[in-house]
Amino acid sequence: MGVSLTMSLRVCLVVLLSLGGAGCLQKAPPDMLAAIEALDRQLVETRAAEFAPEEYARFVKHWLTFKARLQADEDVIRWPWEVNPLVADLRRIEEEGTSAGQAAAQARESQRQEAETRLAVLEQRARSFSTRVNEMGSRVVLGQKPIETELLVKQARSYLDQGFYVRAIQTGQEAARLIDGQAAILSTELGRYADERSVDLWRQMVKRTADWSRSHRAAAIVVNKADRRLTLYRNGKVVAAYPVRLGYNGILEKRYQGDGATPEGMYRVVRKRERGQTSFYKALLLDYPNSEDQQRFQKARSAGAIPAEAFIGGQIEIHGGADLPMSQTLGCVMLADRHIDALFRSVEVGTPVTIVGAVNVTNSIAMTLAELEQSEEG
Amino acid sequence: MRRMLALILSPVLLVAVGCAKAPTEKVAAAEKAVGEARMAGAPQYLGEDFAKLESLLNGAKSEIAAQQGKVAFLRDYAKAEQGLVAAQSEAVRVIAEAGKKKEEAKSAAVQAQQAAQAAVKTAQELVAQAPVGKDRASLEAIKADADGLNGSLAEVQAAIDKEDYLAAQAKATAIQEKGQAVATEIQTAIDKINAAKGAKGKPAKTKK
Repeated sequence: MGVSLTMSLRVCLVVLLSLGGAGCLQKAPPDMLAAIEALDRQLVETRAAEFAPEEYARFVKHWLTFKARLQADEDVIRWPWEVNPLVADLRRIEEEGTSAGQAAAQARESQRQEAETRLAVLEQRARSFSTRVNEMGSRVVLGQKPIETELLVKQARSYLDQGFYVRAIQTGQEAARLIDGQAAILSTELGRYADERSVDLWRQMVKRTADWSRSHRAAAIVVNKADRRLTLYRNGKVVAAYPVRLGYNGILEKRYQGDGATPEGMYRVVRKRERGQTSFYKALLLDYPNSEDQQRFQKARSAGAIPAEAFIGGQIEIHGGADLPMSQTLGCVMLADRHIDALFRSVEVGTPVTIVGAVNVTNSIAMTLAELEQSEEG
Repeated sequence: MRRMLALILSPVLLVAVGCAKAPTEKVAAAEKAVGEARMAGAPQYLGEDFAKLESLLNGAKSEIAAQQGKVAFLRDYAKAEQGLVAAQSEAVRVIAEAGKKKEEAKSAAVQAQQAAQAAVKTAQELVAQAPVGKDRASLEAIKADADGLNGSLAEVQAAIDKEDYLAAQAKATAIQEKGQAVATEIQTAIDKINAAKGAKGKPAKTKK
């Protein structure tokens, strides 16, 4: 009996000792921990918090909780037959991290593509807008707005290149609004060219000039600003046409001295300036401002539409000099020297000179304005 | 009688002794620290670390809520307190780190601003010297560009004042690039005109 009891105790002791020897501290596999640490760093680098906030937050929450638990349970003993729960948890966290990474990459790519597409459209629109504005000769009308737009487009591209897609889109939208604003300014300033009543009025002015030429069997001149063309009539018929340059703001309606605009109206040649009497080879001085111009100027000044200290200007001529490298005009009509030579021979003091915006509603400026409006709607 | 009293009081004492108090002060302190990290620009300059910080705080708050759902004497806020303390100390690190990043961004923005100012100054000086050439419209446009660039410098300063260094740097770099392009354009025009002047002699005068 005594021997049997001693044996039993010995067996129990051996079993307990062997169990104790086999039991171990519950530890997370270091390779798995390192893999998740690396995954976490990768998620930081790819800005997962920005592109997949929910998925990333879930991963972070579980990862941080796990690390805290690891510290708190560092002395927990696991028996050999027990499954290490930390391994399963780490696998789940790794899956969450991987999934967050994938979601972030997908969202990032989707945002990049959207920003890239929008910016490409905007850049194309800005280029095309700028080309059309230059073609119309209306760049100066827009003042500093073109440069402001260009800077915003560049800024949007810079954000895109740095991976700030939302900012790129927002800045691009700001630039698009500026282009819309410029289109609106052009529409207000140059809308006359697309306005049937204005064009009809100009057409009548041209007809009256041609009729005068016919009835007086004399020369008359018509300058078409949209076409940038001077036409010479004799006996009511077109006998010559020359390309012209206008003031730097030539397509605008002249309002006051120094605005760079070329006046519209019915004028007459009041003096012929031969070589030596003008810096522009030869010149035909017009009777600008006429009574209509005076009235318009006074009305605009009273309404505060022009600066109070502004003058109406004068010395509007048809002159040569277009071939000279440093010649310039602030509102006159400029021809090549050989063309002013020919014109000079054909006209006299008193010859009517009619300057109009356009003679048909499908003029180049109206067409460009329509294109700009379409692009705005698009 | 004594036995009866002990029977009645013992659960009350158990509840009184075992009922842990929610760490409201620690929550407030951790929230304040996270708020300070936000104010320091951590979401912008240290986005992921800030997300983790918020996660720590939210995790601790969830733990408190979970404990509050338990019977009073079984509540244990130790884990939540540990999370809150960790959030607070992490916030200190994030604030310092975000401060460094912000300072780096500021320095880059200021540097870009100075480069932009120099480019605009050069462009404006060239515009002032530019002889009026054949294409007056182009010159007027260039003048408007130079003025526009100069005006845009104020936007760079405004962005710096708002501590939006990313915007300040992007704008300043765009201004610098365009300023240099304008300067090159004017210089080319000046060279061209000077060459023509040499060839043709006296220029025509300005009209009214």
